[in-house]
Amino acid sequence: MDKRLNLNLNVWRQKNASDKGRFESYQLKDVSPHMSFLEMLDVLNEQIIKDGGDPVEFDNDCREGICGMCSLVIDGIPHGPQQRTASCQLHMRHYKDGDTITIEPFRAKGFPVIKDLAVDRGAFDRIVAAGGYVSVNTGNAPDGNAIPIAKEMADKAMDSSECIGCGACVAACPNASAALFVGAKISQYTYLPQGAPERTRRAERMIAQMDAEGFGNCSNHGECEAVCPKGISIVNIARMRREFVKTIFS
Amino acid sequence: MASQSISAAYRMTVAKKVLMALSGLFLVLFVIIHMVGNLSFLLGGPDAFNKYSHTLISLGPLLYFVEAVLVLAFVVHAWNGISISLDNSRARPVKYRMLKSAGKPSKKTISSTTMIYTGLILLVFVIIHVKTFKYGPYYSTMVNGVEMRDLYRLVVEVFKQPLYTFGYLFTMLLLGYHLRHGFWSAFQSLGTNHPKYSGAIYTIGIAIAVIVAFGFLAVPLAVYFT
Amino acid sequence: MSKNGILDSKIPDGPIEQKWDRHKNNIKVVSPANKRKFKILVVGTGLAGASASASLAELGYQVQTFCIQDSPRRAHSIAAQGGINAAKNYQNDNDSVFRLFYDTVKGGDFRAREANVYRLAQLSTNIIDQCVAQGVPFARDYGGLLANRSFGGVLVSRTFYARGQTGQQLLLGAYGAMMRQVDLGGVELFARREMLDLVVIDGKARGIVVRNLITGEIETYSGDAVLLCTGGYGNIYYLSTNAKNSNATAAWRCYKKGAFFANPNFTQIHPTCIPVSGDYQSKLTLMSESLRNDGRVWVPKKAGDNRHPNDIPEADRDYYLERRYPSYGNLVPRDVASRNAKYVCDEGRGVGETKLAVYLDFADAIKRLGEDTIRDRYGNLFEMYERITGENPYKAPMRIYPAVHYTMGGLWVDYNLMSTIPGLFVLGEANFSDHGANRLGASALMQGLADGYFVIPYTIGEYLAGEKLPKVSTADEPFSKSVKQINDNIQRLLNIKGKKTVTEFHRELGLIMWDKVGMSRNADGLREALKLIPELRKEFWENVQIPGDAKNLNKNLEFAGRVADFLELGELMALDALERNESCGGHFREDFQTPEGEALRDDENYCYTAIWEDQGTGKKPLMHKEPLTFEYVKLTQRSYK
Repeated sequence: MDKRLNLNLNVWRQKNASDKGRFESYQLKDVSPHMSFLEMLDVLNEQIIKDGGDPVEFDNDCREGICGMCSLVIDGIPHGPQQRTASCQLHMRHYKDGDTITIEPFRAKGFPVIKDLAVDRGAFDRIVAAGGYVSVNTGNAPDGNAIPIAKEMADKAMDSSECIGCGACVAACPNASAALFVGAKISQYTYLPQGAPERTRRAERMIAQMDAEGFGNCSNHGECEAVCPKGISIVNIARMRREFVKTIFS
Repeated sequence: MASQSISAAYRMTVAKKVLMALSGLFLVLFVIIHMVGNLSFLLGGPDAFNKYSHTLISLGPLLYFVEAVLVLAFVVHAWNGISISLDNSRARPVKYRMLKSAGKPSKKTISSTTMIYTGLILLVFVIIHVKTFKYGPYYSTMVNGVEMRDLYRLVVEVFKQPLYTFGYLFTMLLLGYHLRHGFWSAFQSLGTNHPKYSGAIYTIGIAIAVIVAFGFLAVPLAVYFT
Repeated sequence: MSKNGILDSKIPDGPIEQKWDRHKNNIKVVSPANKRKFKILVVGTGLAGASASASLAELGYQVQTFCIQDSPRRAHSIAAQGGINAAKNYQNDNDSVFRLFYDTVKGGDFRAREANVYRLAQLSTNIIDQCVAQGVPFARDYGGLLANRSFGGVLVSRTFYARGQTGQQLLLGAYGAMMRQVDLGGVELFARREMLDLVVIDGKARGIVVRNLITGEIETYSGDAVLLCTGGYGNIYYLSTNAKNSNATAAWRCYKKGAFFANPNFTQIHPTCIPVSGDYQSKLTLMSESLRNDGRVWVPKKAGDNRHPNDIPEADRDYYLERRYPSYGNLVPRDVASRNAKYVCDEGRGVGETKLAVYLDFADAIKRLGEDTIRDRYGNLFEMYERITGENPYKAPMRIYPAVHYTMGGLWVDYNLMSTIPGLFVLGEANFSDHGANRLGASALMQGLADGYFVIPYTIGEYLAGEKLPKVSTADEPFSKSVKQINDNIQRLLNIKGKKTVTEFHRELGLIMWDKVGMSRNADGLREALKLIPELRKEFWENVQIPGDAKNLNKNLEFAGRVADFLELGELMALDALERNESCGGHFREDFQTPEGEALRDDENYCYTAIWEDQGTGKKPLMHKEPLTFEYVKLTQRSYK
């Protein structure tokens, strides 16, 4: 009953970090439109293995759009054509029979390719280590209701905190800037009283780490927001800059 | 809390953007005033235009100060722009075979992706422009018994040349493009994005771009076609 | 209990509400100067692993933490949607530590340890405070105080939540706390590492051997204690709501090294998942069970009724949950809802292309409350459903089917969370301790964080201060022996060069497990599984085809090792299910049911934890028992009629 698809895939293949890499073409027949994009790649890999080849490595884990591990650039758009959707939740019904699909890894100096479509996003962990938290030890927390927090503020903090850390913002940015990721983390804590005591230090250190990782400078194109699986707004970037300006005068 | 020194802050990407925004907004202000002044060329005729420019020149030290600030803003803006652009090209050493826009809410436009190119052309233009007019041939005229520079004559001479005129037209359109992204972007860089106002700022930016570009086009077109 | 006393659960004396405090007062504390001399290896960075790493490093221990993903933030705790329970009684609805304890013991169908569950309920309140202090943006009311919702059919509102992403927010809190320690030098982080062996020296856990998934190198790490926080083994069914990388290997290799495995067959099947759409399916997606608050579950009365659901008149529909359970209706517990969906599909009344689905219909609710209200309540779930299936659930009923979701079983631990191998502690879903035979909604997050933030920081001191732990080095023989064994094993796998891919084997195993050791089991099916699994295992070791080599990122090789372990664990699960001649919680034996077809527990003979000791692959493991006594909650038969 469902029309099956025959697809041409141009996939980036790279043996390891030092390999130059190249595109390779594959033909995949009889793809069900109900498959997810990653399931389509699973089928491709089974075909490659049966043919005695090396399957395409790509990062993935939860396959429900929350872990942030999948990281494909599909036809020039990180996570593909459907907005607010991670690669793992994109389904093949968005494609037509005979389509050619180009699949590349996230590309940025801060995200070196490990193999094929898998990249190293350790830079994000190092940025978080530089202050993306509230410095509170276990055990000395006051009662959860001791400090009321306006619902609007809690909701805004949640909007920022929904970031899944996938790095699509960097991948989509013409400048490979990590401003949306860093801005979202800094913003989350500016909305909450718990984050206030170290807000200056946090902004200063996280931005310095972001720069040290070699990410580009945000030119306000706003592509990041358009590809973000959680639709995180560039208002967060403005907030980060506001925090930064405060660091100079504090 | 230890605050950082301004020089340390400057090395950070975010600081470059803040400076870019401050200098850019100052330049926008200048450009608007410049454009309004130019309109006196059309509306007031030769004497009015020459008197206007004479008044400016007569300001003396005040003018030098404003010029110095202007030059500073210009240099900061250009220097930062080039520096940011170099940073950015280093941030993605291997390019994509294909990179497309994901569509709204993205604000990526031809304008936003060509800022460095329109900026560099504007840089060259400004140098030529200053050389042509400020340091160009000195014609003299008398208005109400006062001897002053006849800038009106120079403007007419220059804009009768097709190459200069059309080069100018082209550059002013590029200025429009530059401002179309630059204006709202400056506010975003200064951290003033707010759901309530950002839409208005974005629209004002487009309006300023259009008004400035066409405002500057008026004089050369009028001269060339009369 | 058992000979030589290794199965001492170390439950403290005294009234239940004083056990934990008394225990804390009695256990040893390591002096601050000594803490930095102890190195603790933490495997896994979900709620349990991240919170333990952070808390232990804060105390001054040297911590080395390992995770399988590219970043610790991706551990599967991140996918938990609904919420986290805590006995705060903020809603003034007469909630209390005792009530949470009671609900959890009863929900677990009386197969959990009372003392552990009570401690969990006590600690639940500290967890909320801790997370709020970390900046976790819990939902709040307009007054600025924390909001609650009711969850999983309990009588009070005690579930704290952050939209539909509670697990994500709690994990980011714990991850942040851990990354702070990375920054301060207390935690050293190793990402993209898979634990392949536990090193036991003089009977104590003294190190681990991991594979660096990028370079393929086998690396060794020594320490004074090992914390296993590696989650559950639901992926043994191939299709589950678990992440693709979730696996049993770390726990299984510890089992092979002498840690006992408790209640392996206790698996939770979640009733509201998006059904399988084809044989390429790689995982299943869960939708919050809150959907059952307004959705009505039905199938056609007649088998083979292929009409569009909207064309089937009321008279031809069977709202089977409402029919069979008039008082609870669509809100029966997870295990009951799941089992009944299976029955109607077995009768041929399933719907959709595969006939393995039932309808969850919101038409009545939309008529009653309006589409806007339904969108407010479930908008994000409806969107998710549409994204995956391409169908609009506002216009036609959803199709749902149960899927494997959580494993209550796990490595056996005592009250201190220590396994039968001294120095090996097991936290979170990886242990067996708190949920009995069925876990209540919003309790998994609570357990992971209680273990990591508030239990292990105390109980590990008892071990470290009480034991003589001479220095060991990774140059020692047990380490090199283990490395050799692992390398040999990898070479052996690569050299098979057979015809069937790892995925094909995994899928086959999954089908056996689902059919015979799934939602509903019987002795014949289990015996069959005990025959089929070893056969499949044998075929695997002769005919698996693994591409590439061991010198770089090779997911097929990683999965091959995991599937090899699943092929052993599956047998143990079937054996455990066969030995337990009763129905309880997620373990439903068709041969042990009431005349009305409900689960029939046998407290007389099976009120114990079944604990398995490995005797070598292919040999029948030895079963030990830890009897369960219920002093505070009366044993009753669950009824939802």
